[in-house]
Amino acid sequence: MSTPRLARIDRRYIYLLLFLLVSLPFFYPLKLPLSVGEHAQAVWDVTEALPPDSVVISSFDFGPSTITENRPQAKAHLYQCKERDLKVVALAFWISGGPLGEMVLREVYGEDFPDIPEYGTRVVYLGYVPGNEVGMQTFGDSTVSAKGTDHYGTPVGELDLMNEVTSAADFDLWAEWTSGTPGEQQVIQFVQGRHGGPSAVPLVVGSTAVSVPGMMPFYSAGQISGIMNGLSGGGQYELLVDGEYGYPLVEALPLLDSQSVAHVLIIVFVIIGNIGFAITKYGGGQRS
Amino acid sequence: MIPPNIGQIPPELDLFAIIFGVFATLFIYSFLVKENPLSRAVEHLFIGLAAVFTLAAMYDAALTQAIWGTNRIAEGNYIWLIPILLSLMYFFFFTKKYFYLYRYPVAIVAGIMAGMVITGLIQSNFLAQIQATAALPLVGAEATAGTPPEWLNSLIIIIGIITALSFFFFTWEHRGPLGISVRIGRYVLMATFGAAYGGTVMARMSLFIGRLTFLINENYEEWFWAWYLVPVALILVLIVLLWSRARPTPTTPAPSPKPTEKKKTKE
Repeated sequence: MSTPRLARIDRRYIYLLLFLLVSLPFFYPLKLPLSVGEHAQAVWDVTEALPPDSVVISSFDFGPSTITENRPQAKAHLYQCKERDLKVVALAFWISGGPLGEMVLREVYGEDFPDIPEYGTRVVYLGYVPGNEVGMQTFGDSTVSAKGTDHYGTPVGELDLMNEVTSAADFDLWAEWTSGTPGEQQVIQFVQGRHGGPSAVPLVVGSTAVSVPGMMPFYSAGQISGIMNGLSGGGQYELLVDGEYGYPLVEALPLLDSQSVAHVLIIVFVIIGNIGFAITKYGGGQRS
Repeated sequence: MIPPNIGQIPPELDLFAIIFGVFATLFIYSFLVKENPLSRAVEHLFIGLAAVFTLAAMYDAALTQAIWGTNRIAEGNYIWLIPILLSLMYFFFFTKKYFYLYRYPVAIVAGIMAGMVITGLIQSNFLAQIQATAALPLVGAEATAGTPPEWLNSLIIIIGIITALSFFFFTWEHRGPLGISVRIGRYVLMATFGAAYGGTVMARMSLFIGRLTFLINENYEEWFWAWYLVPVALILVLIVLLWSRARPTPTTPAPSPKPTEKKKTKE
């Protein structure tokens, strides 16, 4: 194949190849080995270090488009909180996160959620908290000012758990499931920053892989205590939760084979592209 | 009050949701072959649904916060009327006469955000980062711990920060030691962009895998599987693609006359 032809491969062949290869592990699982990375391990360690009855915020700040990445992360972490007898205040600063959060809570706490005995005392769902960054800061300052009722219309004053936590300083961990803004950076800026710095509310994040490189400086600086990196991070966490508590809601792990295959394919394409580029540049061909 | 399960599909409509989901997924993906009426239709439908959902949920959230559930205004807490009135002022955007009133809520929101961001951003993205970099271990027991040793990571971070910043330093010409620093900085930036690209690929693949999972595994009470409809949707896409290929290409409309010419015609 001449160089210009290599540079002009119809992108639709690449899509087709990608589709076929990614579909393959659904029918023939490769069962590739998976190790838990430092960042997912850090989320686990921070959560495991909390004493029982500690209060955790679980913030569903994502939309349907990133459900594949964020849902397994949030679900596995919530399951761990439930098994460890941690109290959970769940909410969403994203409008689309409202129904998605309820969906996740139903999977973890049972289909009858919120009609379960522990609702109001050990778990509360506030639903969508309006205001984006302003809502986040208001919630950090005064929970009742940010949202007067829970997702089901019950005034927060009637919920015992909400009377225990009046501001961000009363929480022991903020778990942020995010795919954009407002997300972890807004928690750092508008909540942690107002309550005495990074140690005030430890923050763990489950994010789409695209945002993780941008979070690393905050992780290195200690402003973020742990990160679940996309689908892979969710899968790693499922592995940890399954190992300790037996996790019946595994979702991300079976999909990681497909992702590995896709990555290998992309790497191959990058190599081919670079070879094509090098031939064009040094072999006397024309650069396209 | 809008029911709390807004945005969730009632169980009795699950079958229709799967049918709709299969067609919507494949119609949208048909864009990868070529833009066609099916992909455009689903795209427009998505935008419409998202707009309606956002409007309904925001309306409900605002009124629940101020009126329903909390009864704040009924209890004499009239300060909650201010944000409601400010929100309504946004609608002056649609009038020519009172358009200036629309600027007030915009100015207030911009002012609040500027005030919030300036204080928060300086602490979180500037001071905390400088403190963390200054505290990187280069000597001592902490620096030699780990494999590779921590001092190596610290050194890479410090060199990376200095050289990447020097790339954006334009006071002097990029020659001599500054030129070397700029060149290293460029490689640091390229490595950063590479990591971001890797993350982007990983994220996009995850979303694609998510859709594939839906198409392969989603079912309605284990008797109707989503993949039953995949061939039907593909045939539909094929028909539409062939139809749009056979359709004569619409001719480009003639350019409208220039404004100056229009004026002349009127005169």
